[in-house]
Amino acid sequence: MRDLQDRLGYLVLAATALAYFAVYTTSLGRPPGSFDYLAILNTTMPLVLVALGQSLVVLTGGIDLSVGGVVSLCVAITAATGGAPGWIVAVVLLGALCGLVNGLVVAYGRIAPILTTLATLSVYTGAALWVLPVPGGSIVPEVRAVLSNPNVPTGLGWLALAVAGWWVLRRTRFGLRVYAVGSDETAARAVGVPVERVKATVYALSGLCSAAAAVFYVATTTAGDANAGAPFILTSIASVVVGGVAFTGGRGSAMGAVAGAVALTLVIDVLFFAGIDPLYQSLFQGLFLVVAVLLGTGAALLARRRAA
Amino acid sequence: MNRRVAYAVAVAAVVLILGAVLSPGFASWPGLRAVLIVASFTGFVAAGQMLVVLVGGIDLSIPWVLNAAAIVLTTTGLGLADRLPLALALAVGAGLLAGLVNGLGVAWLGVPAVVMTLGMNGVLQGLTLGVSQGLTCGDCGHYAPQPLRDLFAGTVPAALLVWLGAALFVTVLLTLTTFGRRVYATGANPRAAYLSGVGVKGVTVALYTLSGGFAALAGIMLVGYGGQASLGLGDPYLFESIAAVVVGGVSILGGRGDYLGVVAGSLTLVAVTTVLRAQQVPEYGRLMIYGLVILAILFAYGRERAHD
Repeated sequence: MRDLQDRLGYLVLAATALAYFAVYTTSLGRPPGSFDYLAILNTTMPLVLVALGQSLVVLTGGIDLSVGGVVSLCVAITAATGGAPGWIVAVVLLGALCGLVNGLVVAYGRIAPILTTLATLSVYTGAALWVLPVPGGSIVPEVRAVLSNPNVPTGLGWLALAVAGWWVLRRTRFGLRVYAVGSDETAARAVGVPVERVKATVYALSGLCSAAAAVFYVATTTAGDANAGAPFILTSIASVVVGGVAFTGGRGSAMGAVAGAVALTLVIDVLFFAGIDPLYQSLFQGLFLVVAVLLGTGAALLARRRAA
Repeated sequence: MNRRVAYAVAVAAVVLILGAVLSPGFASWPGLRAVLIVASFTGFVAAGQMLVVLVGGIDLSIPWVLNAAAIVLTTTGLGLADRLPLALALAVGAGLLAGLVNGLGVAWLGVPAVVMTLGMNGVLQGLTLGVSQGLTCGDCGHYAPQPLRDLFAGTVPAALLVWLGAALFVTVLLTLTTFGRRVYATGANPRAAYLSGVGVKGVTVALYTLSGGFAALAGIMLVGYGGQASLGLGDPYLFESIAAVVVGGVSILGGRGDYLGVVAGSLTLVAVTTVLRAQQVPEYGRLMIYGLVILAILFAYGRERAHD
């Protein structure tokens, strides 16, 4: 029963997927087809990537509010330059650099993560506005064909790459250290974990993920907006929470957060096909968030009672 | 007085003097009056945010509690002076109720504060948009009742007296009452506070309820100031409230800080933006400088203790 909290993300995703299937089939009279799955994949990819990065930070007991700013900045640059491959590499590196700045301030400046990233959120959002004052821009069709092709599920390959990256990372010394820092920083320090370096790295990785998300975002929407990143702040946190990653750090997995991100995107489709006024959308998303977490803590409580 | 609070007051003074030097008219009463009025809105939301931060919590539901209260006020007040008391009671009541639910979720159900208040923000956003039909319905577009708008008239607008009253209320509550001692005790060490007989849960619920009330108050004042309620009215105040609290010298970990510092923090933030506007710095520059100023202030007195 104790694993239930760890598997929360998958359970919520399974339940949401089931609801999606049922609601879609009853409202349209046929089960969702490959087109629908592809649309879900392409619209959910940016959030999946941001949530992945956010979960790494949360695993060390931190939080990254600047993901909104990094996504905005990288969306702005990608769209303004048309997203030629050289620029995409530059954008991804820039994202990692933005994240690294957060990490250095948090780790060596000893400023609380929520405050550091709140300040840099403003700086990065400003930079995005400077690059792209009015919404617009474009993306090279070849890049779109490789990243979020509307006809072929190319996104699956990238999703698999992200998942594989996490699987490898988790089994490395670095992955172990991320959990060590998150569970007990003092103890980790005592056994010689370079806590500062680990923290700096997770923020850099979060920045990198946000940059990749931005490239996907532009590839899917084929245009950019300097405020594109703002919604990702709260939705990435929600994904991490629904995915069963503990805010105290050290518990959960990035895969849970990925499942949480997909579930959060699916909920919107469920509401749509259930014929609920889109104006009420965030009401159900908010309830979904709290109920998912309550289920997790309820299960943990039940397990403790049974063990006692 | 706490050392950090002294710094916060000093920073506010420096920023105001800098503003007076840089832009003529800033030092005059009309200029200062404008800054004070805008700062009062930040001051109201930051009062609530400070109360929950003092016990190590956070309130992310401020934007839509504020917005919901503003909409409740205009739709029940219908712009009529004799309906104002009822409208005010309903608006404040809605805020207190939202805060109460937050507090119960955090204290009794054990939902992490970030999740509970984020969920509440979504719930209220959905409810506000859904019930008001996106402000497109016939009887939504009402103006603020005249007495409310008169709060902002005159050389010394009554709105500033309301802020003064709120400041006195919070300060007296925190420094001269048993409740205040309990708040600081809970924030410094909840376990020790519990063992010495503080009703930690009750204190927490009361603080979240008050935060909801203050967010509603900010919404009411914003309606009076702008003459109307709009959707997204509260969005800028989420991060602004956190920034004001921290720039005001309150420890994000809880247990330390007072409202005098937060008043100084609100003034600093608003003065920075006002000075930059007066200097005709474009929006991207304002955002970047705003973030850098917060970062600089954090480096000056917002750092955590070193680990040795």
